[in-house]
Amino acid sequence: MTLFMPQARRKTGLVLFPAFDWCISPSHPEREERLLYTKDQLIEEGLEDVANIHFFNPEMALEEDVDRVHLCVPSAAELMTTSHFISTGGAIRAARALMDREVERAFAIVRPPGHHAMQTVFGDRGFCIVNIEAIMVEYIRKHYGVGKIAIVDTDCHHGDGTQDIFYNDPDTLFISMHQDGRTIFPGSGFVDESGGPSAPGYNINIPLPPSTSEEGFDTVMERVVLPLLEEFQPELIINSAGQDNHYSDPITNMNFTAQGYARLNRNLNPDICVLEGGYALEGALPYTNLGIILAMAGMDTSHVREPDYRPERFVQSAEMNRYIEDICSQAIEVFAGRHEAKKQFAGQEQVVERKRIFYDTTMFQAAETRVYHLCQRCPGYTEVVAEGLHQHVHGFTVPFNACGSCSSKAKDSFAKTDRESDTVIVLQDRYAGIFERK
Amino acid sequence: MIIGIDVGGTHADGVLLQGGTILAKKKVILGGEALEESIITLLEALVPADKNRLARIHLSTTLCTNALIQDSLDRVGMFIQAGPGMNPEFLRCGDDVCFLSGAVDHRGQVLRGPSLAEVEEAAVVMREKNIESVGVVTKFSHRNNEHELWVRNKIADDFKHISLGHRLSGMPNFPRRVYTTWLNSALKSRFHLFRKAMQFGFSRLNIDCPCYILKADGGTISFDGACEFPCQTIHSGPSASVMGALALIDGKKDAILLDIGGTTTDIALLADGIPLLEPYGASVGGRPTLIRALLTRSVGLGGDSSVSWRDGSFRIGPERHGAPMTFGGAAPTPTDAMRVLGRINEGQKAKARQAMEMLRPGEAAEKTAEELLQCFADRVYEVVDGMIEEVFSRPVYTVSDFLEREKITPENLIVIGGPAAALQSTLESTFHLPCLVPADFEVANAVGAARARLTVQASLYADTTQRRLAIPEISLLESIDKGFDMDSAELRLEEAVRMLARDLGGVAPSQVDFIERMQMNTVRGFATTGRIISLKAQIRPGLTEITE
Repeated sequence: MTLFMPQARRKTGLVLFPAFDWCISPSHPEREERLLYTKDQLIEEGLEDVANIHFFNPEMALEEDVDRVHLCVPSAAELMTTSHFISTGGAIRAARALMDREVERAFAIVRPPGHHAMQTVFGDRGFCIVNIEAIMVEYIRKHYGVGKIAIVDTDCHHGDGTQDIFYNDPDTLFISMHQDGRTIFPGSGFVDESGGPSAPGYNINIPLPPSTSEEGFDTVMERVVLPLLEEFQPELIINSAGQDNHYSDPITNMNFTAQGYARLNRNLNPDICVLEGGYALEGALPYTNLGIILAMAGMDTSHVREPDYRPERFVQSAEMNRYIEDICSQAIEVFAGRHEAKKQFAGQEQVVERKRIFYDTTMFQAAETRVYHLCQRCPGYTEVVAEGLHQHVHGFTVPFNACGSCSSKAKDSFAKTDRESDTVIVLQDRYAGIFERK
Repeated sequence: MIIGIDVGGTHADGVLLQGGTILAKKKVILGGEALEESIITLLEALVPADKNRLARIHLSTTLCTNALIQDSLDRVGMFIQAGPGMNPEFLRCGDDVCFLSGAVDHRGQVLRGPSLAEVEEAAVVMREKNIESVGVVTKFSHRNNEHELWVRNKIADDFKHISLGHRLSGMPNFPRRVYTTWLNSALKSRFHLFRKAMQFGFSRLNIDCPCYILKADGGTISFDGACEFPCQTIHSGPSASVMGALALIDGKKDAILLDIGGTTTDIALLADGIPLLEPYGASVGGRPTLIRALLTRSVGLGGDSSVSWRDGSFRIGPERHGAPMTFGGAAPTPTDAMRVLGRINEGQKAKARQAMEMLRPGEAAEKTAEELLQCFADRVYEVVDGMIEEVFSRPVYTVSDFLEREKITPENLIVIGGPAAALQSTLESTFHLPCLVPADFEVANAVGAARARLTVQASLYADTTQRRLAIPEISLLESIDKGFDMDSAELRLEEAVRMLARDLGGVAPSQVDFIERMQMNTVRGFATTGRIISLKAQIRPGLTEITE
């Protein structure tokens, strides 16, 4: 530490890995150039010399880290590139830095992102193959025994992958604020998608109208996010820190700012941020990322403004304010009604859910049937049968917070399921730490 | 023939070299007289009879370090343009700072110019305070120096010395650029005085060969160059020591260099025989800078460090309480342990034994001495290990760099300094590596100064969408066409390095290495709009070839 550099109030770790040699395709938003200007800005600011800010290289995630969360078809190794293993490992490194108390806050500024990757994976959707936050969360649970975790998704797109993975987990409060699904990919994220039978009310969606600005996000934070976190009392708060709500983002329609992102993160005070989307490479990302870092570190963010920032451009109409307030009220009700909602499943042994999942990157549909095997004592285990690109998966997933008896039941069902030539059969038991395929 | 002079904290050493052979060596104690006088005294003793045979003089000097410690720095006026980002208030280098409006962005695009009124107003105030030296720094000036040059032009007639951020380094890191520029400005008049005194001395001795100053990166710079960039001559002592060790041991391997002195041990690392550099630059008096510097770590651990025994372990240094007991001092030191074990033969053995018995009464002196030296070696090992880990942990930004990372695997230890030979066997067994102690190590620094060669680094940033090329170190900013590619970049940068080499050293560089090559297409919408190329070239620190 020197007198000549500022000191972060909170020890903050950054895993900055822009993967300058990886792209989905040369003109894709997820291309080499994406974090070029961000990296240039962060380095020029001298963050490496700020006392209490520490840079870490990512590490390679292991296949077992991925298999703990996903049912990859044909397999994780065949779907993922080295870059995916590194970006996942970047999120894990951030988590380890936090959990090992090397730092008090951590931010993985890595790519490719992950929040559109669902439990079953047949390919790339929404620029994501595997869900780097979800893998990180289960890594933390496995290695550090943490239970209750809140994930707040501030990307402009609905975090449908994260929602899917934690849908039936009452120990994960997932809150996603995003541009209304009627106007943007992936077309989901409505208030009534509120959680599976064992976790109703723990999945909170806040679909916001296009052009939502600082005021709108402030309202969501004050009325929904902060009160819900207060009540849920998570051991860790994670921000899926997409930055595509920015007014200059080329693939979204929102009106958010670097100042807004900084304030949101100051109020949310997340333990870990993981970069998701954000495709205004020059006009937004250098400033939004810096704003988030400084906010996490407890430093002055007042000078982090886009060169063309004019406060008057970010005033919302009274009508829009009322609309957003109404959405907020609906979201609060979902959470408030969670105990009541659970009663409707009392006595049921299983609940079946069917859905189709669209893979936008290479344009195909997957079909999925999920059977929640309910339990009085725990969230129960889940059976998943899915088909995509003429490949099949039949999985038995036991969550970390399951009971021993559900774990044995899943194991038995797995054992009884006959091998089929075109189907991967998987036992994914996070409770017992078993991953088997046949 | 070359004369190498190394000015240290307490004394100055000089050697006269012919090729690799030391023809003469001389040491003077630095006392009351001016630094310049001591150097001239050394020169007088070393200059060969036939003065024409003296090709050049190389000098490592503590001038800048002393100026900092003694606070004999110039009062500096700073013009700083920060633009969007961190609150720049912490960069106030003293009271005389003008924060300029306007900004250049991360891609070198001008967002808004500074205002003339604020520059003029600040210049008036600075002049009223008799400020002669100013620094001008803008954020991202390594991408676009327009605003720095603009300010310089407005105030060119008002100040004797003007230092521009982009000229000092092409590296990113704005706070470091500010401190580097401030430091350079603050050393200007002190360095000019030094040159004047030295020139006077040279003419008194009838010497007219060129004189070079050693830099923090283990290279040399001409005296004129050093006057323009005095900040580069900081930390030239440690760099002389590294280059000296290199000169005395010829090796192309990964290695660890230790310079063990009375109170400190300086550590450097070699990869394939080339000393490693700091990623950005040296820290000077607590200020991070962009002054290109060898990676060295100093531990408060030396032969004369005071030792105590507490809770079952030794505490060595960092303080020193006079001479070792074997030489008449009052407190036990590692040197006393060396005497007990017969690793050195000077000094009173009885006193040395007494020192060990004082440390651990009732224990055999030999055992205490063994364990003390082992503890010394263990501490050094710990720091070396940390350095190797730190180098390995330097950030990487591409998948291929991530996959290709390799840890330095030292194959030997090169140890110089007073206690070097006495610690040889202990270090060898601790590091499990052969430990080389070169002959003549007492003049290693002077030899290092003599054998060092010119080093230069230059950086290029080209953006074909914006049709702009920048090579900050030579103040180049010009238009390029859309076809500008990596080959053109290499050509232009090599040219720049040769130009810098001429300007700063008057010699032709032997080999220009390209590093940190990056090329990336810029895409807007679905079309490629151009490419960004960034490239660095350098002449690495190394030894002059022996041709004489």
